[in-house]
Amino acid sequence: MAGVLDLLVIGAGLTGLFAAYTAARAGLRVRVVARGAGSTHWHAGTIDLLGYLPNGQDAVANWAQALPELPPAHPYRLLGVDAIAQALDQFQRLVAAAGLPYVRAGGGMAFTASSPPEDRNLQENDPAEQFDDPRLGQNGALISPVGAARPVYLAPAAQQAGNLEDDRPLLIAGLDGMPDFYPALIAENLQRQGRLARSASLPLDQLTERRDRSPLHLARLLDRPAAQALLTEMVVNAAAPGERVGLPAVLGLNDHARLLEKIDRALAARDPDTAQTPDRRGACAAVFEIPTLPPSLPGLRLDTALRARLDRLGVRVEIGMEVCGFHATGRRIHWIETETGSRPLRHTARNYLLATGGILGGGIHGDRCGHVKETVFDLPLTAPQTRAQWLRPLFLDKRGHPVFRAGVSVDHRFLPLDRSGAPVYDNLWAAGAVLAHTDPIRERSREGIAISTGCAAANAVVRGQQL
Amino acid sequence: MPATSLNAVGLSLNDCIKCNICTSYCPVSQVTDSFPGPKYAAPQSERFRDFGHPFYADDAGPISRTLAAGRMPDASVDFCSGCRVCNEVCPTGVRIAEINARARARIAAARGLSLRNRLLGRNELLARVGSIAPGLANFLLHNPLSRRLADALFGVAEKAPLPRWHNETLNRWLSRTRAQRLRSQQKVVYFHGCATQYYEPFVGIAAILVLEHLGYEVIVPPQNCCGLPMLSNGEFSAAEGYHRRNVARLIEFVNAGYPIIGTSTSCTLTLKEEAPELLDLENDADVRALKLATWDIFEWLRDRLDQGRLPSDLRPLHQSDRPFILPYHAPCQLRAHRIGKPALDLLARIPGLDLRESHARCCGIAGTYGYKTEKYQIAMDVGAELFDYVAAQSAASDREAAGSLSFTACDSETCRWQLEHGTGIPSRHPIELLAAACGLYDLQARRPADAN
Ligand code: SF4
Ligand code: SF4
Ligand code: SF4
Repeated sequence: MAGVLDLLVIGAGLTGLFAAYTAARAGLRVRVVARGAGSTHWHAGTIDLLGYLPNGQDAVANWAQALPELPPAHPYRLLGVDAIAQALDQFQRLVAAAGLPYVRAGGGMAFTASSPPEDRNLQENDPAEQFDDPRLGQNGALISPVGAARPVYLAPAAQQAGNLEDDRPLLIAGLDGMPDFYPALIAENLQRQGRLARSASLPLDQLTERRDRSPLHLARLLDRPAAQALLTEMVVNAAAPGERVGLPAVLGLNDHARLLEKIDRALAARDPDTAQTPDRRGACAAVFEIPTLPPSLPGLRLDTALRARLDRLGVRVEIGMEVCGFHATGRRIHWIETETGSRPLRHTARNYLLATGGILGGGIHGDRCGHVKETVFDLPLTAPQTRAQWLRPLFLDKRGHPVFRAGVSVDHRFLPLDRSGAPVYDNLWAAGAVLAHTDPIRERSREGIAISTGCAAANAVVRGQQL
Repeated sequence: MPATSLNAVGLSLNDCIKCNICTSYCPVSQVTDSFPGPKYAAPQSERFRDFGHPFYADDAGPISRTLAAGRMPDASVDFCSGCRVCNEVCPTGVRIAEINARARARIAAARGLSLRNRLLGRNELLARVGSIAPGLANFLLHNPLSRRLADALFGVAEKAPLPRWHNETLNRWLSRTRAQRLRSQQKVVYFHGCATQYYEPFVGIAAILVLEHLGYEVIVPPQNCCGLPMLSNGEFSAAEGYHRRNVARLIEFVNAGYPIIGTSTSCTLTLKEEAPELLDLENDADVRALKLATWDIFEWLRDRLDQGRLPSDLRPLHQSDRPFILPYHAPCQLRAHRIGKPALDLLARIPGLDLRESHARCCGIAGTYGYKTEKYQIAMDVGAELFDYVAAQSAASDREAAGSLSFTACDSETCRWQLEHGTGIPSRHPIELLAAACGLYDLQARRPADAN
């Protein structure tokens, strides 16, 4: 144990892991503790910045331009466009270095990172490219698991060809007997939006005998070359010339890029005449993944990439640890305690970052009597305190539900504030879905909030350490 | 017939948000079609087994009923190895592995237990009988013919890594060396468990040497098996008897304020949590006191370290200047303690040690699981992730033409046997490495350094 930790991050979702990465890369000694695996596991794996404004009906075309329309206390307003773009830039470098490249939805790109591993560190330190891009902030539209248009900012290569600005006809191909993916429904919804789309069902029994097929089992199966060859053949047989094919996002856990490439090449080889013309970014694929119900492979791949990077930076991520207490005097937290099989375990650090998520992630708990609580430090929350005000009568109400906006108010350094507007502690920071004045589910801003606030809070910790 | 009540274990199923993260990580469900995975086997099915019905969660408080009552769990739950990887990753704290353990107990209570499972559950008895004549016992157990017979007659996998009796039990070593043992005002109690007593007394010796080196007198009171093998095979009433006997024997030391320290991660976990929770003994004051007094040895050493009370006279583990590469696997039994990986913090202080942490989920053996004929291959497939990791470390070390891989390290005995079986490389308890770094222990021969 060479000295005390500079930063203990609580929470292992995208917020916590990206914040840990930011701080560790700046040279801080960092550790992550979390009750369980992060909610990255049940998200689509895209980076959504801002899909809808509060009370807005239409999808946001450009989040950078829409920022001024957000309420002044919104985390994005605390940050500003430049800080958000910078955080995204860091994120893109990180995932590219990990072999899981992300670009703007509809940007088009090759399935695999083109650079060999030795170059990856270099790449991670390259100067920023995003700022002079005239299309900064431009959302794309991808296909949701039920066939609706989904406003997305950055997407992994595997999802790029599903871009709805592209007018090539669509074949949505499901796997017969795979629960939780509905090709006919998706195609029907796409037709309703005036797109050329049809569905097909590929026989799954040639691939596996198993009846309970979770996306993950299928993905592991499809990491095998034999299964990849079989699926490629089935897809080629099902697709008509000129069609692009959407498949459930189960195309492999470690090797999905290779399978996508195989299918893409097989389709091009069969129809050399109609083969896709590469666009200016390089490739314009004819096959793509559509996210499924959880467990979400695109989310899992993202989690794996982040964890591998943290491992190399010497950051330990300890999961299965639930915070059960803490000790503070005045405005300083001295330690937190996590629950164990016996006595509580003490963790000491100079700074603490709360990245436990909102109601869904477990950072905020609502009980039957209508009390809403921040689960670790019992921080003051902005929340409707009677149960009747939590929810609107309609589940799918476009305005979202008030309780989901509950959260911790912070200042521009991301220190949680008390009711008088002063920091509750001098060494406690907060980021991600636990923050107030945003409803990431309704806004479609989950990952944007996670990355930008996680990065900002970590940077604030780094600056504090340098003083 | 034992009764269980709806306690925190059963109620926790109501927190399940169906995210399927547990299914993503369950190592068994990944390699076999016989097990549908944690979400399906535990929170989802338990709801229909009466116990977990949300109706029971409300007003009236815990409901007790005999184990066999309620609807019968599907037999596939027997394929859950109990590794608890699911508990670790579940974001809402569902006690999946415990729900499965209770389901197995319900099956065992209703349908009875196979002779094989009864035998595996009583490994202490077997071990004690064998230790009367270790040479003979080793011959009887380990010759190819009896392994084949055991496979055919009882379903004990022919190739699984069964342990060998040591020619001297820990107790006999203790009485033989009584005169050399340290007396001190500072005392700790050592819980050795069956495997250390009969098969690997040298692990206990290493622990005692280190503790004495730090100035503590080590008390080793009479004790019996922690009962875990019975718990995992669903024999709850027998396990309760074992646990109550241990509590009766240890409580006077607990009340005197001595820590109960163990080197077997599964024994200490059973004393801390498994027995109290699964057997519904959490309200028993003595059981609770023992739970709170029990430590994994590295958890306890790390606590000394945090208080600045560990001497730092550690020396390199070997003489040459080549790096000593050590792949370390934190067994799931240790991870289930939720204390992090304390051995890493201590071993990191050994000069020249190139410590490599495996992130493999499980070695596969899971206590008695991998010894069962029908589960042997599953256990080996689960373990492949870890074996491959170890192999990769030695390949890397060859390339650098520097250190070679002479050992792996792991805190749990059955995992070490499985690791050796799967990799062909000898495995050591971290306490053996620490004892060697203190100059007290011969890592190769597994005996005190000054022994001849
Ligand atoms: S205890 Fe292990 S084998 Fe059993 S369900 Fe959980 S992860 Fe799977
Ligand atoms: S990980 Fe936990 S919450 Fe998620 S499905 Fe499994 S038991 Fe339910
Ligand atoms: S034997 Fe080991 S790694 Fe393996 S199941 Fe046990 S604790 Fe897990």
